[in-house]
Order: sequence, then C-alpha cells, then structure tokens
Amino acid sequence: MESSTSEFLRGVLKTIVLKLLAERGTMYGYEITQAVKERTKGQITLTFGALYPVLHKLEQDGLLVTKSVEVDGRLRKYYSLTPRGNETALQKVSDFERFMDAMRALLFPPSSLSLGHS
Amino acid sequence: MEKLSSQQIAQLRRHLILNGSDESLLSELVDHMACEVEYYMWIGLPFETAIDKAMLEANSDAVGTLQETYREALSLKQETMAEASLDDIVFETRNKAYGAYYLRQNYGNSLRDALLGGAGFFLMLIGLISGLNQGKWSYMSLSGAMWLVGISCVAYGGFSWFIQNMKQKYMVVND
Repeated sequence: MESSTSEFLRGVLKTIVLKLLAERGTMYGYEITQAVKERTKGQITLTFGALYPVLHKLEQDGLLVTKSVEVDGRLRKYYSLTPRGNETALQKVSDFERFMDAMRALLFPPSSLSLGHS
Repeated sequence: MEKLSSQQIAQLRRHLILNGSDESLLSELVDHMACEVEYYMWIGLPFETAIDKAMLEANSDAVGTLQETYREALSLKQETMAEASLDDIVFETRNKAYGAYYLRQNYGNSLRDALLGGAGFFLMLIGLISGLNQGKWSYMSLSGAMWLVGISCVAYGGFSWFIQNMKQKYMVVND
C-alpha cells in the first residue's frame, strides 16, 4: 500500500496542492501536509521531500505567490494562488474527476453488461 | 501549545544544514520541522524525544532526495536557457549568495577600474617626475596635463571600485 500510494501520489500532487489552496486561500507547507493527513484520515501523508519541490515549481510557473512572515522566531512562507493558479486549480480538479470516473469504469465494469453476454 | 526557543530552532537549522539542505529551502524546512516538533510535544512527548523523532524523519537521505527532486523540478527551462549567461548555468544549482557569482558577474567592471587606476597612477608618477625635473610646476605643461589626467583616472577607478564594494557588502540577495 505504502509504496504504490506514493507512486500514485506523484501524479496528483499538484492537483492536491492547488485544490487545497483554492479552498483555503493561504497556507504554509506544514499546514498543507496536516490538511491532507486529516482529510484522508492518515491514509495519505505528504512528506516534505515531495511537497516543497512542487510548491516551488508552481511558484516558478506563476501559479502561486508567496509571502514570508516571521512566526515564533522563524520565517514562515505562506502560499496563495494567482488568478492563473485559480484557473489551473479548477481545470486540474475537473480533469482528475474525469480520470477517476474512467478508472472506476475500467476497474468495475457494469455487471449488467457481462450478464448480457453470458 | 508550547513554542520552541530560538536555541531549539537553531538546533534544527544546524541539523538541516549538516544533512545537506541548501539556502533556497532552509528557512522553510526549519519551520516545517519546528511545527512537527511542537506537534509531538503537544501530544505529550518530551522535547528531546520530539526533536529526535523529527530529525530521524529529516535524515540525510530524506533531505538528499528532496534536494534532488527540487533540482529536477526547477532546472532551467528551454526558454530561460536561451538568455542565460554562462554564469547562470554554472551557478544554477550552486549558492549564488556566497559571493563567487557576484564576483564573476562584475569581473568586467573590476578589470576596468583596476586598469584605469593603474594607468592613472603611472601617469601621475611620470607627470610628477618630469615636472620636478623641469624645476618649475605648471598645470598647462605636458607634465602637468599628465598629472591631471592621471589623478582623474585614479579618482574615477577608485570611486567606482568603492561603490561596487559597498553594493556587494549591503546587497540583499533575493534568491
């Protein structure tokens, strides 16, 4: 489970990050990992090694903007979506929904069809 | 919720540097680990156990993989590559803030200042010696003119060198 989860995760990391930011507006890195952990009841945990490259990449692509604020004596970097990031978030989520539908159809073919042939 | 002291944060920072985290991610990772440690302390672990647990998760393997993924994800793209200088390419995955990048970029200016200063000093010297040899000093003579040109070259070179030095000293590094 563990290794295939991280394999699947690689493809949807951007979608997850964009979707969360679209909902919450502004988040920092640790907050994103916690939100993912909470929502999936611990089934999916983002490691910092997977998360930060994606965040910086999205920032480089102009989908995110950052703001550093000093909190409790250390710098905390907050991320939020740019208008283009917002569009991309919508696009990615709907693309992924379609993909999940397709996967579901692939894994669980409607049984009525197979009955019809027998 | 208990907060970490600045010494404890410094301990995290040291751990990350020792395990190979570079400047671009460091402050963020420090915050990430600090949040983790605070969470472990909040659920009841003593500080030492909490920080050990967080450090175990952020060992050199994990940080190394992170740096590698990071480099791959953010490597120069085709279009930026076209306008990147040789310095940009050489320093792409290196620490630009350390100083060598700046020195390389300003090599042309430094060379100009040094040449102007050197040539000016030479002119001043020649002007002075020939002026002294003639016995009387006049700014309108050849030696006087050499002295004047020399002194202005030295002044320009020195001033420009000083300005550049100040710029480097107080430079704010963005990336």
